[in-house]
Amino acid sequence: MFNHFISITFRSFWRHKAFTAINIAGLAIGISASLVIYLIVQYEFSYEKCMKDGDRTYRVVTNMHFPNMDFKNGGVPGVLAGTMRREMPEIESSTQFWMANETKVTVPVNGENTKTFPKQDEIIYADEYYPSFIGYEWLAGNSSTALQGPNKVVLTESRAKLYFPTADPASIVGQTIIYDDSLQASVTGVVKDLDAVTGFTFKEFLSMPTVERLLNDRHGFLEWGNVNSASQFFVRLKAGTDVHKANATLKAVRKKHEKDAYLETDHYFQQLYDVHFNGDYGAINGERGHKPTLYGLLAVAAFLLVLGCINFINLTTAQATQRAKEIGIRKTIGCTKWQLVRKFMGETLLLTVIATLVSIGIAPWILKVFEDFIPQGLKFNLAAQPQLILFIVLLILVVSWLAGIYPALVLSRFRPVQVLKNNISSSSQTRRAYVRKTLTVAQFVIAQFFIIATLVVGKQIRFGLNKEMGFRKDAIVNFSIPNNTANPHVRKITLYEKLKAIPGIERLSLAGPPPASPGISSTTMKHVREGKEIETTVEIKYADTSYFQLYDIKFIAGRPLQQSDTIREYVVNESYARFLGYQNPADIVGTTVSRDRGAMPVVGVIKDIHTKSVHSAITPLVYASMKEMNSNFHVLLSPSGENTDGWKKTIASIEKAYKEIFPEAEFDYSFFDETIAKFYKKEQQTAGLLNWSAGLAIFISCLGLLGLVIFTTNQRTKEIGIRKVLGASVMQIVSLLSKDFMKLVALAFVIAAPLAWWAMNDWLQDFAYRTNISWWIFAVSGAAMLLAALLTLSIRTIRSASANPVGSLRNE
Amino acid sequence: MLELKHISKWYNVGGKPTFILKDINLSIQPGEFVSIMGPSGSGKSTLLHIMGMLDDASEGEYYFMEQAVHTLKEKQRSHLYKQHIGFVFQAYHLIDELTVYENIETPLIYQNIKSSERKALVADILDRFNIVGKKDLFPTQLSGGQQQLVGIARALIAKPQLLLADEPTGNLNSKQGEEIMELFKQLNDDGVTIVQVTHSEKNAAYGSRIINLLDGRIEQ
Repeated sequence: MFNHFISITFRSFWRHKAFTAINIAGLAIGISASLVIYLIVQYEFSYEKCMKDGDRTYRVVTNMHFPNMDFKNGGVPGVLAGTMRREMPEIESSTQFWMANETKVTVPVNGENTKTFPKQDEIIYADEYYPSFIGYEWLAGNSSTALQGPNKVVLTESRAKLYFPTADPASIVGQTIIYDDSLQASVTGVVKDLDAVTGFTFKEFLSMPTVERLLNDRHGFLEWGNVNSASQFFVRLKAGTDVHKANATLKAVRKKHEKDAYLETDHYFQQLYDVHFNGDYGAINGERGHKPTLYGLLAVAAFLLVLGCINFINLTTAQATQRAKEIGIRKTIGCTKWQLVRKFMGETLLLTVIATLVSIGIAPWILKVFEDFIPQGLKFNLAAQPQLILFIVLLILVVSWLAGIYPALVLSRFRPVQVLKNNISSSSQTRRAYVRKTLTVAQFVIAQFFIIATLVVGKQIRFGLNKEMGFRKDAIVNFSIPNNTANPHVRKITLYEKLKAIPGIERLSLAGPPPASPGISSTTMKHVREGKEIETTVEIKYADTSYFQLYDIKFIAGRPLQQSDTIREYVVNESYARFLGYQNPADIVGTTVSRDRGAMPVVGVIKDIHTKSVHSAITPLVYASMKEMNSNFHVLLSPSGENTDGWKKTIASIEKAYKEIFPEAEFDYSFFDETIAKFYKKEQQTAGLLNWSAGLAIFISCLGLLGLVIFTTNQRTKEIGIRKVLGASVMQIVSLLSKDFMKLVALAFVIAAPLAWWAMNDWLQDFAYRTNISWWIFAVSGAAMLLAALLTLSIRTIRSASANPVGSLRNE
Repeated sequence: MLELKHISKWYNVGGKPTFILKDINLSIQPGEFVSIMGPSGSGKSTLLHIMGMLDDASEGEYYFMEQAVHTLKEKQRSHLYKQHIGFVFQAYHLIDELTVYENIETPLIYQNIKSSERKALVADILDRFNIVGKKDLFPTQLSGGQQQLVGIARALIAKPQLLLADEPTGNLNSKQGEEIMELFKQLNDDGVTIVQVTHSEKNAAYGSRIINLLDGRIEQ
């Protein structure tokens, strides 16, 4: 019986090849999208789910209150950890660690020889509790004492293999590793790498006592006033602890101990599962999940799936008359309605299974296409992911039910007599046509929405990139001197002098970061005006004299800074002057502002510049000059070299000079305009995603339209023949056949346009500076959709319209 | 076998009833071979469909094997006809996607007959109709006469007591037609009650009784 059903169904699929192909294609697109998006979402939400007692594990985070903004940080002052351990009995266990910068690592190779790894990452300075808190499996070493005391290091298996490729874990213990040519540590243990989705991807745990003094000297690790996001503190609260109460206790503990904290500061327990997603505090190790994006992806998957189902419903009900004869016959020989429903549902199920198999086949390819959105550790492996198989089975059942139930009910309702008499009752026909039309409109609404959204996002990105930021962006190369190197401030001057001699350099500046850069630093500044002291959070940047000319930053009044060793004067931006109440910003020149070290004169006011992406509004900004802060080189290349290899040669000679002065470092440079383009990486990704969604939505909808028009022209073959005999031209017939469909597409536009306007307007609110949604976006998207529909229709209509009427009018 | 009492059938066209059948009274005994004749539009096919329970009468009573069909529910009716009635159509109405074998087998599936038994029954009838060699072909690969033979085989597979045939030879040439009528005659001799609609006097003559329809009434 089952084989019988399968073989008959396949025969029927084969007879209606075009319809079957369209149905499978539509469903497969929706199913593959769902599959891939399920993988992504499932991956993102499984962060830290492997950790034991993760639900009562928290990260302690910091919120510092500046005068006019809060500054949230995922780190804590190092001193907080010990204090909390002593005074908060709610804490069951905890671990404190510091995430190190890229470090030079030197490893011994049999005796005299050594191997050097210039830039090793994933290194932390961890306290002795770290491995047991996270739950590593030990391969060698003593788990209880491995990180007790200074100069000890524990490696994960993969890192151990990298350093000592041939040795087994047990013999690695006792080896000595040198960090940054100065710190020595002996390996006291090897643990297994975590094989789970987690932010704890560190591979090398150097014992905290090794570096505690260093950290304190460099970063004020043990001062209450210092917060660095590298300093992490995780706790596991005892079961049953009320986290709100714990937060209150924490606040009291802080108040009791804090000294020399110049800002009001609070700490909170942040739930472990929130760490990967919370943008305010940052993820542990950079890779942050973005929940709205995930929800957006889910919506895309749902839409594409719905489009595929709609296609199926439309085509199957349209095709109904062709199957009516079979249904009628089956009924006359005793088939009941429910048997028919079962049969049709079975057919849908089979079709969905085929579409799913196709999807599984193309999933690896999709994963490649969408690489940008896909987390790196994501794997697609049916055998190793049983929950994926469960998802696929569920998906098949849901899709075949959604797509199959309506057509099955419609088809099984046919009355045999009417079928056998060759007249499918006309009243039910119109009603079904009405349902079909609604579904088609729904499809095109979705497609149209995606097109408009794509255009708006694209326009906003162009707007951001082309916006007058208030400074020069082109032909500028940036690079910085290495951190952690000997005598940087002397050597950078030598490099500066060397670079000056290179002919292809139009202008040169040695200063702080460029006008716009991913990170900013802020400080609090005071200004006294008419006897009142105004305290403000201000962004601070460091420049030399030529910086302003190099970036072509315009002055409203005053002059650029004089290069100096310590801060002696300030240049402020227009916004700061206005914020302080100067109607005419130029008037602030000659007054003073003060940071912690006394008041300094303001010598100039610049026009406002964008120091961040157009997401953020322009805020108060000061420029100062301080030799020690100048670790970035800014090079303006001469314009003549752009299209020849002049720039390449200049950069090559810069690199040569750099290597001479800093032979130990890599020469990493970037073009300033490209750095700015990266501000919009998230938007570029959104745009990429929307392009694909729009493309697929149009494609599926047009497939559906094609199916419908094939059906309609088949039905109207006789009418077309008669009209041609009566003298209608091909064009007249084509327009007759297309007109009804074009009306549906136009209606879809009317519905989609306001929805899209509303949604995109909402999206744009995220930007402090935004493009407007112009009328042409609607005109272009509407026209594009109509054109796509028209082209699809013409695939079939032209053929039908040019057919010889003799063929269609011959009576059987 | 069956009895029709005051059967009428009409459609509303523009608010006025248009009669297809008007006050039909008819009784058919087991073993009869009845031919219904009449011009186009006289209501022959409708009458046949009502007898076969594919269509409802607008008015009147219908008894089939002592059961009042007009009072039965859809499901009971379907149960009744699939056990006792076989249909043969002018246009054969075979399912194009199914082979000859599968077409003949289908009614048995709907009567929940076991696979082994189905095989035996189908093999039997293929043999009897001399179409064993054609069992794996599809309807479109057969001539009209052969298709109708398959149609009749399918109608008979479930051993119905009543065979309803709507112009069974209408699409066939005269030789094929004659063969089909001979087959009907033989079936009738074996005890199957047959009601056929036909245009042809010659075919009607195979029957034991002729009913003439004109404008929805039986002509006496």
